[in-house]
Amino acid sequence: MSEAKGRRRDGLALSRALPDRSLLAMVAAMSLLASLTYAGAVGARAVSSRWAAGAANLVTVQVPDPEKPATDTTAGSATSMGEATAHKDGVSDASSAHAAQLPASQPEKQSGSINAATPDMTRATAIEAVLQASPDTQLVHRLNASEIDRLLAPWLGAAGASALPLPAVIEVHLSRGATLSPNVIASIAKIAPGSLIERNDEWRVRLLDIARSLLACAALAILLVGAIGAAVIAMATRLGLGARRESIEILHGLGAVDGYVASRFARRVAGLSLAGGMAGTLLALPPLAGIARLMAPLSGGGALTFGTGETGFSMAEMVTVLATLWGETPPALLWGLGVVPFAAAFIGWITAQVMVRVWLRRLP
Amino acid sequence: MIRLSNVTWRYGSPTRRAAVGRGTDTATALSNVTFSVPQGGFRWLLGPSGAGKSSLLRLLHLEALPQSGELEILGTHVGVGVKRATLARLRQRVGMVHQDFRLMPTLSISDNVALPLRLERRDEAAVADEVAAILRWVGLSERSDALPAELSGGEQQRAAIARAVIARPGVVLADEPTNALEESQSSRIVGMLREVSTLGATVIVATHNDALVRRFPAPALRLERGRLTSDESNAP
Ligand SMILES: Nc1ncnc2c1ncn2[C@@H]1O[C@H](COP(=O)(O)OP(=O)(O)OP(=O)(O)O)[C@@H](O)[C@H]1O
Ligand SMILES: [Mg+2]
Repeated sequence: MSEAKGRRRDGLALSRALPDRSLLAMVAAMSLLASLTYAGAVGARAVSSRWAAGAANLVTVQVPDPEKPATDTTAGSATSMGEATAHKDGVSDASSAHAAQLPASQPEKQSGSINAATPDMTRATAIEAVLQASPDTQLVHRLNASEIDRLLAPWLGAAGASALPLPAVIEVHLSRGATLSPNVIASIAKIAPGSLIERNDEWRVRLLDIARSLLACAALAILLVGAIGAAVIAMATRLGLGARRESIEILHGLGAVDGYVASRFARRVAGLSLAGGMAGTLLALPPLAGIARLMAPLSGGGALTFGTGETGFSMAEMVTVLATLWGETPPALLWGLGVVPFAAAFIGWITAQVMVRVWLRRLP
Repeated sequence: MIRLSNVTWRYGSPTRRAAVGRGTDTATALSNVTFSVPQGGFRWLLGPSGAGKSSLLRLLHLEALPQSGELEILGTHVGVGVKRATLARLRQRVGMVHQDFRLMPTLSISDNVALPLRLERRDEAAVADEVAAILRWVGLSERSDALPAELSGGEQQRAAIARAVIARPGVVLADEPTNALEESQSSRIVGMLREVSTLGATVIVATHNDALVRRFPAPALRLERGRLTSDESNAP
């Protein structure tokens, strides 16, 4: 202890040489920025990995007027609610040619394929049967009323869902790497014109791209924040060097090596940066916690279900996903945030070392 | 041991500009200076104002490197390309008493005097003993806790000498150490520096106090406009 105290009595008096408070405030601000950016990046990465893992093989089929008889292909259904969006997903009005071909292309399950849809079935059960018969599907599940309620609860409230004329929602888990065959699509179109097929694959690719771009942006932003932080620290160190020019020259004349002066500055600056980094990271926690809490009601358990909105994958669903994922990733997030103060300290240390050593070059 | 051979040095060279002054002229402060002082030798450094006395001492204190010629201090050749760490270590073995003392204004006298030992990372207990002994030697035991600004000129001079010699350097340089002092104080300080040389250090003292030189006869190096005009090095 006395040795440390003695070493500090070298006339540098760095506690008064550096612009402590402004350095602390600037590093805190930089760390806050870095923390928020990092949290965003973690969210984006979680979304992308979740999509890559789970959503790739998921297809949702929406069947308007699900309880109509399956054979009803009259003009009435052409004006049903699904019609406006039907073309977008490649489901056109009935094309009997495909349906006729279907049995020939179904080597294993062919006996039960299109014939599964008997005339006395409803549209929804008929389509379910067709999907179940396809060799590409692993799991076909029609959401029941309570599942739909829960899905829509954030938007419609507790009681609203059952009052609306909702389409049937059928989740289809495809075999790995498989796609819905054109024959199946054609069959669906024939049974229930206006059905909406959401192939998440396209969305997945697009979302992965978005996530990747977001990650790149976040990485760039964090790098930039680090660089600006280093510049701020460099300026503060310069101020300190200017304020202690004579003391440093005296020490230099007494035989102090560059490393002595540099490490004195570096330790002080690193300490200030660590404190600033901690302050900034702590300041980032309330807003992050606030966002997490806002998302909490949206992140209730259960299978992630995509594509139930009228216009495909909506912003609101993305928030749901983000909230769910965020709920799963606090360790990564907390680890990363914990690193921020130490990264700040390291940047401070290395910047001060370089600055002081370069500055000392003016003395032989 | 100090040895110079054909040493030339001018201000305003890029390596020096920042540290010594911002002079942009290239006035030659020292030209073709050649002399040597044996270990334990004492030399007066004489010459009119502007002759280059301070410049020579700065060079010997390694505040600058010679632009040409050879410089050897305590067995180390100093020239372009010498490592910074080597220079720093050498500086620890060259005590300098500056004309303006260069005491740290925020440190007490004892902390100022302790600086060279602390830079060597000596044990604190040993530092305290050494500081007490050296302050007793220069007669500043009572003022050890005072700040430099609270001391008289003569006291600051003695504190600067104490700091210059505490680490038992092989070379001690003093630039006009008796400048603003009355005669008895001057004699006391020169007496101390003579004592340091009898203890084995090479000592060079710049002055224009002729009376003092007469009172303490010793070989003299005489500079005039950067040239060495007389070197009584052969004397003991
Ligand atoms: N920082 C500087 N930049 C440029 N020239 C300088 C600088 N310091 C001194 N000189 C010049 O170098 C020459 C030698 O100066 P120096 O200070 O060594 O003389 P001196 O013998 O110590 O004089 P004095 O007895 O007045 O202290 C002078 O011509 C002076 O003008
Ligand atoms: Mg001078």
